[in-house]
Amino acid sequence: MTKSPNWPQGGFHLPMSRRRLLQAGTVLAGAGVLSSAASPLWAATFEEVGDQWTSADIDWKSQSGKTIVLNAVQHPWTDAITPLIPLFTELTGITVDVQTQSETEYTAELPVKLGAKSASPDVYMVWAIGQAITAGWLENLDGYYANSELSDASWWDGDDLFPSARSFQKWSDGVRYLMPITAESQVMFMNQTMLDSKGLSAPSTMEELMETAVALKSDDVAGIAMRAKSSGDSTWPAGGFIFSYGGAIIDLDGKNVINSPEAVAAIEMYGGLLNKAGPVGISSYQWVECLNDYMAEAIAMGCDSSNFATDIANPDKSQAAGHTTYGTIPKAGSNPIKPNMWHWTAGINSNSANKEAAWLFLQWAVSKPTCLLSSAAGLATPRASAWASDGFQKRFGKQAADTALASLKAGDGDLFKATWFHPKGPQILDAFGIAVNQVATGAMDAKSAMDAAAAKIDADLG
Amino acid sequence: MKADRRQPLQPLSTRVRAGRALMPWIRRAVLWIFALWCLFPIYWLVTMSLKRQVDAISRKPKFIFEPIWDNYLSVLANGEVWQYFQNSAIVALGATALSLILGIPTAYVLARYRFTGNADFGFWILSTRMTPPVAMLIPFFVVYVQTGLFDTYIGLILAHVAIIISIVVWLMKGFFEDLPSEMEEAAFMDGATHFQAFFHICLPVTLPGIAAVAILAFLFSWNEFLFSLVLADRIQTVPVGLYSFVGYQQIAWGELSASAVIMLAPVLAFVFVFQRQLVRGLTLGAIK
Amino acid sequence: MISPAARDRRRFVLLMLAPATVLLIGLTLVPFIVSVLFSLSNFSLITPDDFAFSWFENYGKMFDSPEFWNALRITVIFTIAAVAVELVLGVGIAALLHFETRAVPFLRLVYLLPLAITPVAAVFTFRIMLNPSLGIFNYMLKQVGLPPQDWLGTPGMALATLVVVDAWQWTPFIMLIAAGGLAAMDEEPLEAAQMDGAGPITSFFHHSLPMLFPYLAVAVVFRSIDAFKTFDIIFVLTGGGPGIATRTLNLLAYKQGIEFLSMGYAAALAIVMLIITIIASQAFLRRINLFRPKAAL
Repeated sequence: MTKSPNWPQGGFHLPMSRRRLLQAGTVLAGAGVLSSAASPLWAATFEEVGDQWTSADIDWKSQSGKTIVLNAVQHPWTDAITPLIPLFTELTGITVDVQTQSETEYTAELPVKLGAKSASPDVYMVWAIGQAITAGWLENLDGYYANSELSDASWWDGDDLFPSARSFQKWSDGVRYLMPITAESQVMFMNQTMLDSKGLSAPSTMEELMETAVALKSDDVAGIAMRAKSSGDSTWPAGGFIFSYGGAIIDLDGKNVINSPEAVAAIEMYGGLLNKAGPVGISSYQWVECLNDYMAEAIAMGCDSSNFATDIANPDKSQAAGHTTYGTIPKAGSNPIKPNMWHWTAGINSNSANKEAAWLFLQWAVSKPTCLLSSAAGLATPRASAWASDGFQKRFGKQAADTALASLKAGDGDLFKATWFHPKGPQILDAFGIAVNQVATGAMDAKSAMDAAAAKIDADLG
Repeated sequence: MKADRRQPLQPLSTRVRAGRALMPWIRRAVLWIFALWCLFPIYWLVTMSLKRQVDAISRKPKFIFEPIWDNYLSVLANGEVWQYFQNSAIVALGATALSLILGIPTAYVLARYRFTGNADFGFWILSTRMTPPVAMLIPFFVVYVQTGLFDTYIGLILAHVAIIISIVVWLMKGFFEDLPSEMEEAAFMDGATHFQAFFHICLPVTLPGIAAVAILAFLFSWNEFLFSLVLADRIQTVPVGLYSFVGYQQIAWGELSASAVIMLAPVLAFVFVFQRQLVRGLTLGAIK
Repeated sequence: MISPAARDRRRFVLLMLAPATVLLIGLTLVPFIVSVLFSLSNFSLITPDDFAFSWFENYGKMFDSPEFWNALRITVIFTIAAVAVELVLGVGIAALLHFETRAVPFLRLVYLLPLAITPVAAVFTFRIMLNPSLGIFNYMLKQVGLPPQDWLGTPGMALATLVVVDAWQWTPFIMLIAAGGLAAMDEEPLEAAQMDGAGPITSFFHHSLPMLFPYLAVAVVFRSIDAFKTFDIIFVLTGGGPGIATRTLNLLAYKQGIEFLSMGYAAALAIVMLIITIIASQAFLRRINLFRPKAAL
C-alpha cells in the first residue's frame, strides 16, 4: 500500500528529501502544472518556504524521530500532499509512512483494522464519519488545539476555513474530532458547444433543466447523466436535489423525512431527468461513468462534484476541455438552492501511540502555507485564502472555482450532517440509493420508491 | 494393431459421410470462436494500455489508433509494479509449494486408506473453502497481529495455503484413486514400508498430475485478493496493488491495463512451460 | 492386541494427515469459532461496548427479512446458471479440443487466459466494454444494425450479464479438468462403439461422459462453492442493482459487516451460507458416491 516506498526511513535525511521534492517538482512541471515559472512555490526548498511554518509558536521538533502511518484513499488530496511531506519531515523530524489504497480497498480494510483496535494507522482519512465517531475510532482534537506547545491559534487562523468546513469539524456534542482537508460542492457542468448548437442557454430552474436536457438528447448524445447505480453513491447528487427542493432525508430533529412531498418531488425530477434525457444503461452509472461519458462528449450535461473540473479541463483525458461551462444547481420553485457539499476529513486513531506527532501532521497539512502549496497543484482545500490564490485559480479554472465556491457557500452543512454524519448513515444511504436507482430506471414511481425507502430506514433506525 | 476392427460393417451413406467430412471444420470453427471469446476482453485490455486516456474512453471505440508506450514506461519506471510482482511471486510460489507438501500426503491417505472418518475428514478439508470470508476477517486479523504473522510473507503464504489446500487435496485424491492398488501391494510384498510405497512407487507416477495441480494452485493464490488485502500492509500482491489504480473520481485505465498486461506475462510463461505437463498430468489413467 | 503391521499402518495414516490438519485447525478454527459466536451476539463495531449474546435473534431477523430471501433466491439462480453454463461449455470445448489436431497448444494457452489475468483488471475491462454509451459491445451491435442493449439495467439482463462474465472467467477451469479426464480415458470402448456405427456425438454421450463423471464432480463442487460466494464481479459491475436485483448473499453480508459494521448479523449470514453449502455439497457428493476410497489398502 505504500505508494512511496522510498521515503527516508527514521530520522533526518536531508539530501534525500530534497531530491524527492525536486523530483516531484519536475513531474508536476512535466504534467503541465508548472507552465513557465508561474508557481515558484513547487520548486521551493525548505530553506525558501520553511519559515512560514517555523514562524508559528509551535514546538515542531518535540516529536522528532517518530514515524507515523497515514492511511489515505487514492484521491487528489493524497496526490497533492505526498510530494510535500519531505518538507514536513524536515520541519519536525517525523517520518510519515503514506499508505494509499483505492476507495474499495480502503473501506474494506480500515473497518477491520480499527474495529480490532489496531494502533496503526495513526492518521487516516475518514470515510463514514458518524460510524467512526460512534465507534470510538477518532481522537478528540480539542485538547490538542488548546495545547500551547503543539498549537498556535493565531497562526492557524481557523476563520480562514470555510464555514461549512468549520461545521464539519464538530460532532453533535460540539467536540472537534475531524480535520477537514478538502472542499467540494455540487455543480452543473455543461458542454457549451452542444448548448450553442441548439441555441440553448444554461438552465436556471429545474423546469428549464428538464427542457434543456430533453432538447439536448439525440440518438448520439444523452442530455444529462447523473449517478444512479444501486450501491449508494448516487445519494450525494440526489441529496442536493432534495435539499434544493426544500426537503431533507433525515431532518434536523433526527426524523426520517425521506418520503416528504418535497423529497419525492426532488427525486421525481432527478429520476425523471435520467429517465427522459439520460443515456441507455443509466442504472449502472457511478461517478466514473458520468465523468467518462461527459469527457467523451457522450452526454451534454452533468451535475456532480466540483472536483471533476480538474479532469474535464485536461485535454489528455477530456474532449470537452475548453468548452465546458459551470453553473450552480438550478432553482426549484421559490426554494433557495442548497447544492450538496462535502469535505474530506482526516482524524487521529484513538488507539494510536503517536498522537502528538499525528496532530502535528494534521495541523501542518491544513495550515495556510501547506494549503497554498497543495492548491497550486489543483487541490480544492478547505481554506478561503488558498482558493483565492492565483495558483489555484489557474489550475482549477476560474469559472469552475467561482461556481464551486458559490455552491459551497449555498450548501447547508447541517442538513447534510443530519444524514451523512448519522451513526447509521450507511444504512440510510443504502435504502435511499436503491430508491434513486429504481426511479431513474423507471422501475418504480418516486412516491412508492421513497415510501419503501422510508419504511426500510424506519426499520433500521428501530 | 486394431486394423481388423476398423473394417466398417457396411458402407456409410453419402449424407453421413459428407457430415463426417464437415465435422472437423465445424469443430475447428467452434474452437476458434471460443478462443476469440476468451481473447477479446484481453485484447481490449491490451489496446487500452496502448491508448491515451482520452482514446481509451472515446465515444467511437477506436480499433485503429496510434499506440503509445507511455503507460508501460510510467508503470515500469515507477517500480512499484516490480514490488507487487516480487511479493506475489514469493507468496504464490511459497503457498503452492507448501500446499503441495501438506496436501499430497493427505490426498494420498484419503484416496488409498480406508479408516473411520475418512469421508468426514475429506469433507472437512473441502469445507474450509466454503465459509464466506466477511465474518472471518476480524478474527483473522487479530490472530495475525497477535502472533506477529501480520504483514509478513510467511503469514500471507499460510493464509493462502488455507485457501488453496482443499483444491490440492481433492484433485490429487482423484489422481491417486486412479492408480491400480496392485502397485503398492507389489511393493509391500517386496518388504517396502508404507512410506516407501508412497514415496518411491506412487509419488513418481503422479508427478505430471502434481504439475497440473500446482498450476491451478498457483493461479488461485496469485489472484487471491481479500486476505492479501487485510492481512498485510506493505506486502502488496499484484491484485491488491493493481486495485490502487482505481482511484477516487478517476480510474487510471492506462496504468491499470498496462500493469495487468505486464503481470500476465510471467503467469503465461509459467503456464506455458507447464502446460504440456498440465495435460499429461491430467492423463494418469492411461497407465491403468 | 494390535499387530505391529496395523500399528505401522495407523501411524503412517496419522503422520500423513497431521501436518495439513494442524495447519488448517491452527488457521481456521479460531476465526471459525469466533464468527459462530459473533453470529449469536449483537456485536456491532459501532457499539462494541454493548456486546451481549442475543442467541438466535440475528437468525430470526434474517429469516423474517424479505431482503434475505430475495438474496438467497438470486444467489441460487446465479450459482446454478453460472455453473451450468460453465459445465456445458467447458465439457463441450474440452471434447472438441480432444479431437482437434491443429494449433492445440496455442488454443489451450488462449483458453487459460481468463484464468490467468488479474481479476480486477478483467472485471474493470468488462465494465468499460459493457458501458452502454461508450462500450464496444453496444458499438458492435450498432454496426450490425441492432439496438443498443442496457446490459446491466434490467433485473433479468443484469443477472444474465453477470452469468456471462462469470462464465468467461471460469469456463476454462472446468474445461481444464474435463480435458484431463478425457485424456486419461481408456479409448477402447469408445472405438468399439464407433465400430458399431455409433456417431461421435452418440458415443460421446453414452461412453465418454459417464466416465468423465468423477472428474467433473470435483470441478462442479469447487465451482459451485466459489460461485455461491462470488463477490468482485457483482460488486464492480452492478453493485447489487438495479434496485436489489443482483444483491447476492455475499454482497448482503459484505454490506452488513463492512459497510454497516453489524458484525453479528453479517456473521449469521455467513454461517447460513456455510450451512447451505455444506448441505448441498454433502447431498451431491453422497449421491455420486465420491467419498469412498476405491482401491483401499
